[in-house]
Amino acid sequence: MLLARAAESLYWAARYLERAEDTARIVREHTNLIVDLPTVVPVTWAPLLAITGEELTFTSRFERADELSVLRFLVADRENRSSIVSAIAQARENLRIVRELVPNELWHAVNDLYLYIAGNNAEGVVRASRRRFLDRVISECQLAAGITSGTMSRSEPHAFIRLGTYIERSDMTTRVIDVNAATIGAQGEGVMHGNVQWASVLRSVAGLQMFRRSTHASATGETVVAFLFADELFPRSVVFCAEQVSRSLRTLPNPTALVDQCRVLGSLARSIEVQPLDLVSLRRSVDDVQRASADLHAAVTAQYFAVEAEV
Amino acid sequence: MLTDQPLTARTDLSSGAKTEFFDELLDAHDEPRPAAAAVVEQLRKLGRSELESRQNLADLEILTQGITFAVYDDGTNIDRPWPFDVIPRVIDASEWKSIEAGLTQRLVALNRFIDDIYNERLVIEAGVFPIELIRDSVNYRPECRNVRPKYGAWAHISGSDVVRDSDGQVYVLEDNLRVPSGVSYMLENRAISKIAFADLFARQSVQPVDGYVDKLRELLCALAPDGIRDPCVVVLTPGIYNSAYFEHSFLARRMGIELVEGHDLSVGEDGYVYMRTISGRERVDVIYRRIDDMFLDPSELRADSTLGVAGLMQAWRDGKVAIANAPGAGVADDKVVYAWVPDLIRFYMDEEPLVPNVPTWRCLYPDELRFVLDNMRELVVKPANESGGYGVMIGDRASDEELAATRAAVLANPRNWIAQPILALSVVPTLCDDGVAPRHVDLRPFILSGPFSYVTRGGLTRVARREGSLIVNSSQGGGSKDTWVVDMTHPIPDTTFA
Repeated sequence: MLLARAAESLYWAARYLERAEDTARIVREHTNLIVDLPTVVPVTWAPLLAITGEELTFTSRFERADELSVLRFLVADRENRSSIVSAIAQARENLRIVRELVPNELWHAVNDLYLYIAGNNAEGVVRASRRRFLDRVISECQLAAGITSGTMSRSEPHAFIRLGTYIERSDMTTRVIDVNAATIGAQGEGVMHGNVQWASVLRSVAGLQMFRRSTHASATGETVVAFLFADELFPRSVVFCAEQVSRSLRTLPNPTALVDQCRVLGSLARSIEVQPLDLVSLRRSVDDVQRASADLHAAVTAQYFAVEAEV
Repeated sequence: MLTDQPLTARTDLSSGAKTEFFDELLDAHDEPRPAAAAVVEQLRKLGRSELESRQNLADLEILTQGITFAVYDDGTNIDRPWPFDVIPRVIDASEWKSIEAGLTQRLVALNRFIDDIYNERLVIEAGVFPIELIRDSVNYRPECRNVRPKYGAWAHISGSDVVRDSDGQVYVLEDNLRVPSGVSYMLENRAISKIAFADLFARQSVQPVDGYVDKLRELLCALAPDGIRDPCVVVLTPGIYNSAYFEHSFLARRMGIELVEGHDLSVGEDGYVYMRTISGRERVDVIYRRIDDMFLDPSELRADSTLGVAGLMQAWRDGKVAIANAPGAGVADDKVVYAWVPDLIRFYMDEEPLVPNVPTWRCLYPDELRFVLDNMRELVVKPANESGGYGVMIGDRASDEELAATRAAVLANPRNWIAQPILALSVVPTLCDDGVAPRHVDLRPFILSGPFSYVTRGGLTRVARREGSLIVNSSQGGGSKDTWVVDMTHPIPDTTFA
């Protein structure tokens, strides 16, 4: 018997935790990439803004998309609701509302992370300490996931956490592909160090090691896009996420219509054309996947959170 | 090798010059009282830096566990970490037994009074209680007339504040019957104590406090309308911005029941209360409400309330949902009604009060009003319905302006004011900025009333943090201590988990 409002808080707590972890990993990897590549390669910080979808908020508050401004925005800016500090704060606020429903240790882990970030977010901005800061954010988010997985009963509250986690993750993976395909594609046929850039894309979603084990090929647009959209086994691929959402939905009341929507999302991801990788049609396919993902989120909200009291 | 800083006169727990106050741990010769002997001996051995590191350990635990409370007049913080002092307050179990009996007696009488006021009004017919007090009472709810809740219980959960004067006598200072808070902090204080002072618990038998939650749950379930096998009980909270939210969440969690807000509930066409779940609506049988009466039902009480549920009062009157504490219980939560409690005990139970009231002058009566006006500098003058310590004037330390303002307020509305002697509240050694020093304390035990009565083993000890201060409320900067009821005769192993 789960309150609609509690289900909504669980869902959003999970989405914000996933968002914080994914953002931290993307920023960490992008720092590595910029350090790695010769300066002649035209890689900038602007793509990170595109990934998080907060370009308008950024341009209204900062003048240039230089490293410090973008980092400040993505790590420490309270006005950016998708920044790491905002995401963790919101995850904590939501968890506070449903403290009774989640393992005590989960609350402690997120509360600890919140206290750390609140006190140290400047460290996430400057290069000297950035790595250590981001590593900590990532590992503490993984700790939270481990606590949930290891000690939380697989009842309805857990299902909503999984829904939030995988819907957010699928969305993030899609954006990472979308933006990077455009950035790298924009460098044209003569792209320098294409392998390095595509390997970096994989690292930004913790996928390089698993990619190498499963795909005995080098990291190119074709192989990476195919892997991140459609690999059945990698836990951050869109197809995998859709399947997890589907499984969780089946433990909830009246899931049929929603499960169908997962199927749609999954098959869209599976049917992405990569041979050859045509940027225009990739764009269209990515749009379809993102629309299906947004529809799924809207349907979950309508079905479980916006409940009318009258029968 | 550095040796630990030796205990000096400031840190060896002695009361020093303040021998006019009763010290809960030490007698007039700075020797430990029998029940406190093990505690005092251990604390004296620890030394100041070790004591401070235990305090730091406790503070860290409070921070990481997120044990907080909220204060409104602070511009930045919503939440503050709960203020806790490691040195416990100790009560001998045999003394506690008599206090317990007195509190139980008191709450039986108060519940009978409330039930009587909303029904036959025998106490008024008998001339024991003046009807004007009901007519003028801010907390009397005409909407509750002729309602008979189960067991005749209205104030199911109450907190009666208890103090000790310098003569060693324990008094009840006031009864909180509406939405008393603090029990979660009592429970958390024990959990923190067990972490900071695990070694101390091994040396004596301290009565466990965790039984309260089970008893509360049992009580709430018993209130459900008859015939329901597995009652649905919820805690109704105003939400996370309420200063006591931590407690609402804590209790819901410990009892394993839902924590709901007003807009999660609605009253169906059948007159029952329902909550919105992911499967649709589910019926609710018992509501433990942590919302003030006036906000419970916008269709009958305050129309601007967004915290309550339209139609809830009617559902309650129809017996379709139980509410703890019942609406209207606050008629007895009134500093003026307090003065009549000994008479109520005599009237309803034909017994003398086992724990006395503080002597109280009622400004409602002209001769008592005159006494108060003539002696304001020696009295504590209190308005009937402020909570949190606001509006209280302590005669021997108030400025001339405060005194004049209070005098004017009393003359403007005498019914709303009482006065009591300035008590020399007892003290307990407390870790302060410059070492261990005595600070004034009071005690809030919690009493459950329904098909059974139950009193917590001890309660929440609140301590004033500034030297000489008598204001102990957390909303005004007070702190708290764990309260140990120590059994000197039959050891009870403390096997509860933190």
